[in-house]
Amino acid sequence: MNINVETILGKRSGNGHFRDFMPLFGFVAIVVVFSILTGGKIIRPGNISLMLSQVYVLMIASMGVFMIMTVGGLDFSQGAVLGLSSIVFCWVSSYSIVLGIIAAIAAGAVMGAFNGFFHVKFKIASFIVTICSMYFFRGLCKYITTNGPVPATFEVMMLDETWLKVLLTSVALLAGFFVWHFTRLGCNLRAIGAGETAARFSGCRPDLTKFLVYTASGAITGFASFLNVIKVGSITGTAGSQLETQILIALVLGGMPISGGAKSRFPNIIIGTLTYCVLEKSLPMVFPVSATQQLVKGIIFLIVVALTIDHESLRVIK
Amino acid sequence: MNKVILKSEKLCKQFGLMAAVKDVSLEFYEGEIHGLIGENGSGKSTFCSMLCGIYPITSGHFLLNGKELKVKSQVEANRNGVSMIVQEMGTLPGLTIAENIFLGEEDRFMHGIVKNTGAMNREAQRLLDSYGFNRIAASQMIDNYSFEDRKLIEIVKATYFNPKIVVVDETTTALSQTGREELFNVMDRIRKSGNTVIFISHDLEEVLDHTDRISILRDGELIGTVNTKEASSDELKRMMVGRVLDNRYYRTDYNTPVSDEVVMLVKGVSVPGSIDNINFLLHKGEILGIGGLSECGMHEVGKAVFGASYSRKGSVTLADGYKVNTIQGAIKKSIAYASKDRDNESVVIADSIRDNVCLPSIDDLSKKGILKNKKLDGFASKYAKLMSVKMTSIQQYVSNLSGGNKQKVVLARWIGKGSNILVLDSPTRGIDVKVKADIYALMTDLKQQGKSIIMISEELPELLGMSDRILIMKDGRINGEFKRNPELDEKDLIAKMV
Repeated sequence: MNINVETILGKRSGNGHFRDFMPLFGFVAIVVVFSILTGGKIIRPGNISLMLSQVYVLMIASMGVFMIMTVGGLDFSQGAVLGLSSIVFCWVSSYSIVLGIIAAIAAGAVMGAFNGFFHVKFKIASFIVTICSMYFFRGLCKYITTNGPVPATFEVMMLDETWLKVLLTSVALLAGFFVWHFTRLGCNLRAIGAGETAARFSGCRPDLTKFLVYTASGAITGFASFLNVIKVGSITGTAGSQLETQILIALVLGGMPISGGAKSRFPNIIIGTLTYCVLEKSLPMVFPVSATQQLVKGIIFLIVVALTIDHESLRVIK
Repeated sequence: MNKVILKSEKLCKQFGLMAAVKDVSLEFYEGEIHGLIGENGSGKSTFCSMLCGIYPITSGHFLLNGKELKVKSQVEANRNGVSMIVQEMGTLPGLTIAENIFLGEEDRFMHGIVKNTGAMNREAQRLLDSYGFNRIAASQMIDNYSFEDRKLIEIVKATYFNPKIVVVDETTTALSQTGREELFNVMDRIRKSGNTVIFISHDLEEVLDHTDRISILRDGELIGTVNTKEASSDELKRMMVGRVLDNRYYRTDYNTPVSDEVVMLVKGVSVPGSIDNINFLLHKGEILGIGGLSECGMHEVGKAVFGASYSRKGSVTLADGYKVNTIQGAIKKSIAYASKDRDNESVVIADSIRDNVCLPSIDDLSKKGILKNKKLDGFASKYAKLMSVKMTSIQQYVSNLSGGNKQKVVLARWIGKGSNILVLDSPTRGIDVKVKADIYALMTDLKQQGKSIIMISEELPELLGMSDRILIMKDGRINGEFKRNPELDEKDLIAKMV
């Protein structure tokens, strides 16, 4: 009896459902394993709400990077973008909260456009541009907070209500899903990631689209900075640091192909960020020493990537 | 007298549920050129891929000199005396020619941990010279050489170590006439030295001219092996397709007048380093052939009229006065373009058939910017089926399709878009007889509907057989023009090409 591994993994058919569901299995497995290891502690209502309080900012900001990765790019500047736009929000929200949100989105968009401009116009690889801009934005962030953190007003901190955060995150996700599934842009993003030259010859505008995607991604993170300020209250020079790596890890855990393209799926964002937050919250309960947590996190991440990576479509990241 | 050197016994290959090769038992003699023909997807490339260790064998085996051949990679195959020249690029950019030739064999030039680059270059140059390719310098970066020269370098790489079996898989589609002659000389030398060539090609004339025996595969099964001397082209076609092919392979009409209505005016079009001052008119319902040597710039003309060339000068004007300057503008004005470089420029390779068919028409399939996904599915299904693309579903990724099927996807998208002017660059490159016939029939059909076609082709019979008018290019300029005429033959065209 000859069992064909390729058939089981669905690699041959190109649209293997097994692969699509892999991240969901991963999520369930991690929840089950850590429920057992913590004796059920992590699925207690108190802990779940604590876990969810972490997820909002990550989930919204991941959406922008999801689009960037779909066209075959990367973004390492998201944490610094979040930090800077949080500061902008704090400043402007003392006049009006709505104006503050708009200003934060605009600030994020400008920073995203900065990335997009240098990536597209000067044809610099996206990870290099965004690493540079990460230092640049982070530097600005630290400079502004030299004399102490930038605080939010009392009214803003009063907004720290779960219903509001759930509502805003849902609205953002629905808007993202709509763009992804029901507009020309979503279709173009997949095509550009899957074959840029051919996409150009089919009428897509890769350069313009990429610029827009980076700008949009910045704007989305700008929006997320509102929720970030609500949660943390005052902004220090290191606000939002590590967000970029959290996003990348979350997306990969969610099954996002590192090379982007047509195999990107919108649920990658949701499952990925949830999986990441469960891991992040559960590890300290099981491994009290922080060094051990890091170690275990690294191992789990590596296993997930090794299991889900698509060798066929792996290319150099542009 | 005919000693069997290589034998396959009941060889099978399964891809999932699909059998690509079924129970193929075949014998190859010492010192012969053995043609392997069949339609796309008939299993000839898969057969050779198993021989060279690229795909694992599902069941059955190869016997080389009576011993079972078990190889897991091309390097192992080489060590066992089996080598392969592939259809697409097989050399690595960023290395010198010598490094490419001796890839994997560097140990020969190592002294401890130091590589003797000089000795390697000298050895490579000696090999190149012995093949008569002295214009290629072994110490140069391979990137400095054209596609065609790289193919010749690959031939050296695959044959210098005197392998017992050399597989030549569809290599000629990438070569011009002179390159082909050089390849055939090498194949002849291999035969004379008592070794064996397995020659895969879609060009039946080529196979008939250069082989000793021919084996025909259809749907993964061996249909038969014939002696080339006793074979005829029609007989082979019948065996490949399994039915008698219509004789009307090309158009047969010669005196159909072409409308005077001009649909496109190309004036003073130049692209630096490629084409220079190109002028022509395209009429309604006309098939305009453009031919020449592969480096003559004709491929750039296709891109230029589609608005895809960077830094193009001159103008491309349509009947309504619209000037085509961008791809988006061209598509909007229903111009279609199918590139010679199908995998990079025509199909979005890692995307689904659905997205590929829908991309140019996406604005027509949406309402106020909102996509109707059901409409997209229906559209893709309709045109993929119309073009009879062989697929499992429209969600299938294009990367898994054969060359002919990819081309059908490309045509499906433009037929769906309702394009009135089709620019088809090498539309039948690397495509088997049956799909070729389908494409010619489609072109005739489009012509009758009043659509205009610019067909850029390196195949002279195709140009002669299909065009109402032929432009021949040389060194970036138009060097000759011919009207459709049964008297016209390849020599007339070649005279203007070189």
